[in-house]
Amino acid sequence: MAVEFDGGVVIAADSRTSAGTYIPNRVTDKLTKVTDNIYCCRSGSSADTQAIADIVNYHINFHRMEMGEDPLVKTAAKVFQDLCYNYRDSLSAGIICAGWDRKLGGQVYSIPLGGMCIRQPVTIGGSGSTYLYGHVDATFKENMTKEECLKFCKDAVSLAIMRDGSSGGVIRMAAISEDGVEKHLILHEDITKFYRE
Amino acid sequence: MAATCVEFATGGFSFENCRRNAILEEKGLKPPKVYKTGTTIVGIVFSDGIILGADTRATEDTIVADKNCSKIHYLAPNIYCCGAGTAADTEKTTQIISSQLELHRLNTDRTVRVCTANRLLKQMLFRYQGHIGAALVLGGVDSTGPHLYSIWPHGSTDVLPYVTMGSGSLAAMSVFESRYTPGISREDGMKLVRDAIAAGIFNDLGSGSNIDLCVITKDKVDYLRPYDEANKKGVRQGKYAYKKGTSCVLTETVRKVEFVVESTQVKVEAMDTV
Amino acid sequence: MSLQMEQHEYGTPMQRYWSPYAMNGGTGLAVSGADFAIVASDSRLSEGFSIHSRDAPKTYQLTDTTVLSCAGFHGDILALTKYLEARLQMYEHEHNKKMSTSAIAAMLSTILYYKRFFPYYVYNIIGGIDDEGKGCIYSFDPVGSYERETYRAGGSAGSILQPLLDNQIGFKNQQGVVKTPLTLQKAVQLVKDVFISAAERDIYTGDSLVIRIITKDGVKTETFPLRRD
Repeated sequence: MAVEFDGGVVIAADSRTSAGTYIPNRVTDKLTKVTDNIYCCRSGSSADTQAIADIVNYHINFHRMEMGEDPLVKTAAKVFQDLCYNYRDSLSAGIICAGWDRKLGGQVYSIPLGGMCIRQPVTIGGSGSTYLYGHVDATFKENMTKEECLKFCKDAVSLAIMRDGSSGGVIRMAAISEDGVEKHLILHEDITKFYRE
Repeated sequence: MAATCVEFATGGFSFENCRRNAILEEKGLKPPKVYKTGTTIVGIVFSDGIILGADTRATEDTIVADKNCSKIHYLAPNIYCCGAGTAADTEKTTQIISSQLELHRLNTDRTVRVCTANRLLKQMLFRYQGHIGAALVLGGVDSTGPHLYSIWPHGSTDVLPYVTMGSGSLAAMSVFESRYTPGISREDGMKLVRDAIAAGIFNDLGSGSNIDLCVITKDKVDYLRPYDEANKKGVRQGKYAYKKGTSCVLTETVRKVEFVVESTQVKVEAMDTV
Repeated sequence: MSLQMEQHEYGTPMQRYWSPYAMNGGTGLAVSGADFAIVASDSRLSEGFSIHSRDAPKTYQLTDTTVLSCAGFHGDILALTKYLEARLQMYEHEHNKKMSTSAIAAMLSTILYYKRFFPYYVYNIIGGIDDEGKGCIYSFDPVGSYERETYRAGGSAGSILQPLLDNQIGFKNQQGVVKTPLTLQKAVQLVKDVFISAAERDIYTGDSLVIRIITKDGVKTETFPLRRD
């Protein structure tokens, strides 16, 4: 999931990769770097999303060298969309592209399965997201601070981990702003608990 | 008149029989069985390098096709790779990437990095969309330290301190999950990898026979094959050598072969080196 | 919030399938001589790539002079052997005597053929002493076809062992050898040796070997370790 705040974005994801009932990787980093201030969250087939992220990384860095300045988040999102749309029949990839640039500040773009691209103040994706729509609609407020966004993301991913069998492990979060990336790791024992023991 | 014409492969894969085979399969022809290395392969990062491990059984359905096959493949002097899945795919994929890495080494005059091998492998496997059935454990040491990857047939990769692959991967992972510690010593690491492979050998029917290890450090590679024989072969009590003349001869004809002796002299020439 | 390694494509039709049978592997073997019979089996019980048990021999003693070896689907083996035991007990109560080996073989055939269209998925071999005191072997297919033989291998490594027995006991494909009658000692040694070989190449055969030696004096049991990988 990803949330915009004034001056940046917060992105978050769980760390589970599964193959049927087996978990080949319980500490996956699904927050994948595109440039210093643009990241993406990957969901769907891990082979497809890794390949897409690698290709976008290549294009965007090439673009940066040609232009001599940092690329816009919108540009990266558009490259993601081009790949996801053109190869929509052979790909299974739900991507959130988020980051900060000098022109529009913090931005979140959602590129779901068919290859659509839309900017949203907050977005969720992946198998655990179905459990979160109600919570996000009820809890999300415009103009939250960075700290509020981090808490909001932590709570949401915690809920998904507790309910969704395909989500689990630790929570990885990152706050991206003009100053760069601030990473957070929440171990499984520290996830938010919403039930009484 | 039937004529045989020898065609040389031009590089890459040949797809010329795909349509024919699809039609034959539709008519009920069973496709040939391929060797699968129903396998346990593992790798760990230890205090100053990488330890890779593999069993040595190759199966063809329920029959053991090879009792001592080699599953730890050479990629570069500092990088080795364990292969599980279709035996031919793991063998050829690692050979192809190995040659590309050697050319890269000659072009750059540097020790190739493990991330380069990882990227070449994952891009090749992704291009073939899982049709190349190679599941790999890639490990090596380069200028930036020890690195360990697991690579899946569809082209996704994971970076972890300990990985397992193949049909015995669950048995082996259970050993790692209970006993792996970061910064484990060389001796303890080798013992741990041995036990992980042994768990696969004894609890997974696709894995068996011996344990191979490969210990890669900054300036040395120890390729131990076999490192350990997990279980000894039974000793047969009877003698099964046949007496001479036991095989029956059905027919016997003696024919004289005419031959012409030609003598040719080969002149030694200096090699054209300029 | 999840990454998957391989995924089923949604929207495409997918057929669900369930089978009432499973294949639990295992190899059985029987050899007969002038006044003895040997029935042997390995003790591994497996399914797919996993081992359920290392100590599940597939030989069943039916009477003092008859032993049955079963390989195939373990569920059917349990059902079949339980039913056989019941029928043997009923016979004993009705006739006040034990059933002969040949009669058990004939009965097993009818039991198997009764389920011709939903068969017991079991490969049976019976070994014992016949009415004349000679060793006898009966081998079956899963739907009741049977014949008397002098030696037979069945189950997962049956096709590996049978040619070996043909050669060593039947003296097939051998020219100018003296066809000596099989002694008990030679037979036991041969059974051990062929199982060592089967465990080398068949993944469903291993762990240990149980040998049942049947003579007019009763049944003696021997066990022998095999590969465990």
